[in-house]
Amino acid sequence: MILMFIMLQFIYDQKVTAKLLEQQAVIFFSGILTTHLFREFIKKSNWLMLPVEKALPKFFVGVIIACLVASLLRIGIINAFDLSSSKKKFDFLSRLLFATLENSFFIVPWTLIYYFYHYIEKSRKQQFDTLKLESLVKELELKTIKSHINPHFIFNSLNSIRALIDENPGRARTAITELSNILRSSMQTEKQETVSFEKELNIVKDYLALEHIRFEDRLQVEYEIDAETLNQPIPPMMLQTLVENAIKHGISKQLNGGMVKIISDFKDNYHELVIRNTGHLNGSCNGDGFGLISTKNRLQLLFGQKANFDIRELKGNTVEATVLIPIDPAK
Amino acid sequence: MIKAVIIDDERLARNELKKLLLDFPEIEVVAEAANANEGIEKIDSLNPDLIFLDIQMPGKTGFDMLAELDKAPDVIFTTAYDDYALKAFEVNALDYLLKPVEPKRLADAIHKLQMEEGKDREIISDDDIPVNRSLLHEHDQVFVKDGERCWFVKLSDIRLFESVGNYAKVYFSSNKPLILKSLNALEERLDEKVFFRANRKHIVNLRLIEKIEPYFNGGLLLELKGGEKIEVSRRQTVKFKEMMSL
Repeated sequence: MILMFIMLQFIYDQKVTAKLLEQQAVIFFSGILTTHLFREFIKKSNWLMLPVEKALPKFFVGVIIACLVASLLRIGIINAFDLSSSKKKFDFLSRLLFATLENSFFIVPWTLIYYFYHYIEKSRKQQFDTLKLESLVKELELKTIKSHINPHFIFNSLNSIRALIDENPGRARTAITELSNILRSSMQTEKQETVSFEKELNIVKDYLALEHIRFEDRLQVEYEIDAETLNQPIPPMMLQTLVENAIKHGISKQLNGGMVKIISDFKDNYHELVIRNTGHLNGSCNGDGFGLISTKNRLQLLFGQKANFDIRELKGNTVEATVLIPIDPAK
Repeated sequence: MIKAVIIDDERLARNELKKLLLDFPEIEVVAEAANANEGIEKIDSLNPDLIFLDIQMPGKTGFDMLAELDKAPDVIFTTAYDDYALKAFEVNALDYLLKPVEPKRLADAIHKLQMEEGKDREIISDDDIPVNRSLLHEHDQVFVKDGERCWFVKLSDIRLFESVGNYAKVYFSSNKPLILKSLNALEERLDEKVFFRANRKHIVNLRLIEKIEPYFNGGLLLELKGGEKIEVSRRQTVKFKEMMSL
């Protein structure tokens, strides 16, 4: 393209001679060489990554220098091989000026095209990356929510509620409210870092009330709550996950069911939460340990290394999970 | 009339299913069970045609329970969620309902069952139905579980039982899972017109023999449809010839 353009220019101006062709070859060669060097330089100094207002002056200076270099190259080669076609001898400066102007005819469009091509490419890629990131975040959010409420629980509850509609309509109505509370709170989980223990406890009470509908007298629930601890901050859905595990791995595996007990009090400088349930700790609890691993990670992220989580088997067919949260994490 | 037993650990879930089944007068719920052990008891004593079986139950799962039965009735699984356990199944004779159960799905499952039942009845009526109920008929199905994989297999599809210690290896199509049953116990329950004890280690299905060749020592060599070659001991050869009137 550029070559054609130059050639056309010259064909209109002058007659085609061997010398002229040679001259054009020199112009072409010096132009290609300079633009290649320029391109390398742009890449190396990362001009394309700069914002537009910073890149423009740099490109401006760059284009002038590139034109000058191309002209110097061209004059140098033409002088060295004595390819000049004009009879009149111009002085060096005016020749340089002329050549520079001529070079700018193709170096400026080249630079513009080069810059805008990359500019569009870059913004398109950026857009794509943002979209990708957004979808990843969404997916992760969904995954956590999904693993927080067990689908078995949701559908079993709905099934019990359907049976209750005839048997005990009043209880069916409250059950729907309880289920709504749980679903709502689990959907809001990702928005807050901590919630008050009281709020979380209410969700857990709703959850256990629903499980009680399913398990009937196979599930006994006990609470031992120090009222002072109700305002303590805890990570949302943490207690819920632990109680869910107590049901899933404990009560639901016992032929005659069992008991879940929730204790909350102050111990030294810690807020201590204990969840005790009938059952055994299975040796390979890593397999299904999403709740347990994420509990430890979340606690330490929020409250520092002093926070702790522990689960162990006690005598008499009981499993106990303990959460320790420092009372003032700032200190 | 189809005699059915509902096995689910939740009373409300059983009630809900019973209520749905009121719309199907051909199904009579003869008993309920709240866990696998009760289930086995009820199945043994009432010999139902069909069970509705929950998979997640305390103690033993529904699969564990089926594996303990000698003879599996027709089974419709009920589960609250698309269980990964159901994926362990080969694509045979399996139907399951998701709780809460959609009446339409229930109707489909029962309809499908009746169709298959009808087919079986025709076949069976041609044969003489064994009077002794404890004897397994060749159209009976057994539930086989080997590790994570499960199958419902019609006895008529089983080519061979092979003794491996306390276990028996069951050969059907391209599978050969192990079941915890001795060959002697199996022999007692199997119909001797169909299943023949070829030697100490093998019981073969007479209907699935491809070739019979004489073998040294006056014995026979049977080649089964799956390509397995089984030697018939000399003592059993006499009996075999008698039976096949060779």
